[in-house]
Amino acid sequence: MSNDHTAARGLARETLAGAGETPPTRRGAPTARRGRGDRQVWLYVIPVSAVFLFVFVGPLIYTAWTALHETTYYQIGEFSGLNSFVKLFSDPDLRKSIGTTLVFSLGALVIALPAGLLSAIVLNDISRFKRTVRSLFLLTWLMSQATAGTIWVWFLNPNFGPATAITTSLGFGPTDVFTTPATALLAVTLITAWWSYPQAMLLFLGALQTVPEELRESLRVDGGGIWHGFVHITLPYLRNTIVSVVVVLLMLYVQMVTIILVTTRGGPLAATETLSMRVFNQTFNEFDLSGASATAILLFAVNIVLTLVAIRFRRKETL
Amino acid sequence: MIKKQWCFAVAMGVAASLLAAGCSAPSSESKKPVTLTYWDFLDPSQDNPRAKALKENIANFEAANPNIHVQLSVVSLGDMLNRLPQVAAAGQTPDVFKMFTPVVPQMAAAGAYKPLPDQATQVTDWLRPPDNLVNGDGKQVAVPYEYRTCQLYYNEKILKKIGAQVPTTYDEVVAVAKKAAASGVTGFGTGFSDTDNSAIIGTFFDCFMSQVGQDIWDKEGKAAFATPKGEEFGKFLTDLRDAKALGSNVVADSYGTVADGLANGTVAMAVLGTERAVTFSKTAPDLKWTPLPMASTGDKTGATIGWTLGIGSGSEHVDAAWKFIEYMTGPKGAAEMATGGEVPTRDITYKEPYFSTPEAKKVNDIAEYVKSNSKPHTYSDNWTALAAGLSRAGQSLVLQGRSGSDFIKSAQDAANK
Repeated sequence: MSNDHTAARGLARETLAGAGETPPTRRGAPTARRGRGDRQVWLYVIPVSAVFLFVFVGPLIYTAWTALHETTYYQIGEFSGLNSFVKLFSDPDLRKSIGTTLVFSLGALVIALPAGLLSAIVLNDISRFKRTVRSLFLLTWLMSQATAGTIWVWFLNPNFGPATAITTSLGFGPTDVFTTPATALLAVTLITAWWSYPQAMLLFLGALQTVPEELRESLRVDGGGIWHGFVHITLPYLRNTIVSVVVVLLMLYVQMVTIILVTTRGGPLAATETLSMRVFNQTFNEFDLSGASATAILLFAVNIVLTLVAIRFRRKETL
Repeated sequence: MIKKQWCFAVAMGVAASLLAAGCSAPSSESKKPVTLTYWDFLDPSQDNPRAKALKENIANFEAANPNIHVQLSVVSLGDMLNRLPQVAAAGQTPDVFKMFTPVVPQMAAAGAYKPLPDQATQVTDWLRPPDNLVNGDGKQVAVPYEYRTCQLYYNEKILKKIGAQVPTTYDEVVAVAKKAAASGVTGFGTGFSDTDNSAIIGTFFDCFMSQVGQDIWDKEGKAAFATPKGEEFGKFLTDLRDAKALGSNVVADSYGTVADGLANGTVAMAVLGTERAVTFSKTAPDLKWTPLPMASTGDKTGATIGWTLGIGSGSEHVDAAWKFIEYMTGPKGAAEMATGGEVPTRDITYKEPYFSTPEAKKVNDIAEYVKSNSKPHTYSDNWTALAAGLSRAGQSLVLQGRSGSDFIKSAQDAANK
């Protein structure tokens, strides 16, 4: 009975609102405004959702669908169940790819994170030529990954690269860094860290500018040095940013293709073939779309795990 | 009677007008403006003879066929191999595209080609039968556009400096390369990088298998070259490795870097395609070329390879596309391309006045060499897997000290994976 009354009142209000009339009660006015507000929210939500469905959910479902079917080049054939996943997890090279992904991603992170933080601190502290120095620090990140990779391939070329000229004149011989698995992985990791550290620097710089100057003044008055300031003031203020930077960079490294493609294409002997590079090679070199889709789903799972870990860290920080 | 004659005359008139209408329909269709999309790796905006010749050819073709406009897209071979199967799946292939001979069956299997129209069978003066340019149903999908094969390039100055003769067998190549390496240069240039679809090792392997008379595939299309004859190629590479005659960067070297090394005098010898001869003769006077060294069979005959032209499966302008292909491979178009160093593929082209001029000597020499020192063979639809397998096997050979037979077995397994 009561439900019927509520429904009837709601219907009456909607009818009035639809007719452009104001409800007679005083409590009705804000409710109608809220209703209009709620409807306006959908104006924002629907396009975002549509784009999200189109560029993320759709391709994700299509990738999963492809992984569950046989493929010939880019034509999807018969349903094959979990065959491509069975093939993926029984591939002896998968463990190596995962290991390479971890070494590459964590290695680049270990270099880019402190480099970004240090650069941000330097930039935050300098008073003269601030804009020029900031632009110089950002230069590497402003160039495309393909350009960065090509520059390094040229620079390190053992036949005519400037690096070879330098190392040869010093008596070390040519810089054939891309010829052995260990040095190739090291080189690709360093190049990626070099290209990406300004991204960390920018995020840290933004966070550093929120540190109250009074705290630094107090520390100076109390006789605290630079190290004390860093440990007791800067780091606590940057904790959440550090977590964000770790997540952003790890995502970037786990999904990195271009720099590896330009420099080594995953070689030699698959030493630089990360999971992302494996997806690329399976798709465009081996034309194994089904296998590549299965690997892509695995990569997606890795990214989800990373995101969940980050969310957990941030929640702890908030608590 | 008169009535009958009138009826007959009217009937004849109707039949004649219908016939005329029937005949004129296609001609008015063919006069409609058509834009042909064409993929080529040559960039006409570049300042080199081949690019200039292509630009000239397209302009001449458009002038001769005012209703056909050719829209050229510059696409590298690597990009073509990636993109053609994609655009084929989407039904959006270019009308005409260039393709490297060994990859034609693979692109046909990927659905990139439309079988050539019947007019194609009317061209019968190809210097080499185009039997290997077919799809899985045996229908011809492409025609030869340019021929090439392998030859041995050597730096005369380096060989003179180390007191070596031009090698004529692969064993001699190893001995000379060892001497050259001891003098501080790369003795024999090759590369195991797959960044350019393993072009250098793939081409050399193809020619070597022709020399030793080893079929690369069996009748079912499975790679089957891990035989004593095939292992000879692996043995040659291991001999070079053991003689320390391969470049320190061999694992990452590609066709381009080896060619650059030859040109700037840091590589003593290399087996590359004949197409480099014209450029080298202008840019690197110390570089000379000679037929392939003899294999154990005593044979010097490599594989006839080169570029081809075919019609994309999504093309809606087959007649115009064929007209363009016919022009590009025909006497006028091919003679123009020969000025840029390309070796024409049809007998009739060599009757063009250009080939009697002194400027054509180089191209004539190469054409003669290709004719006498190479033969075509069929390819299966897994060339890219085989080429990538050769690169990876080569990397193992150098970095992990694998044997020649391991090299061949590993490449074969990769092709059959």
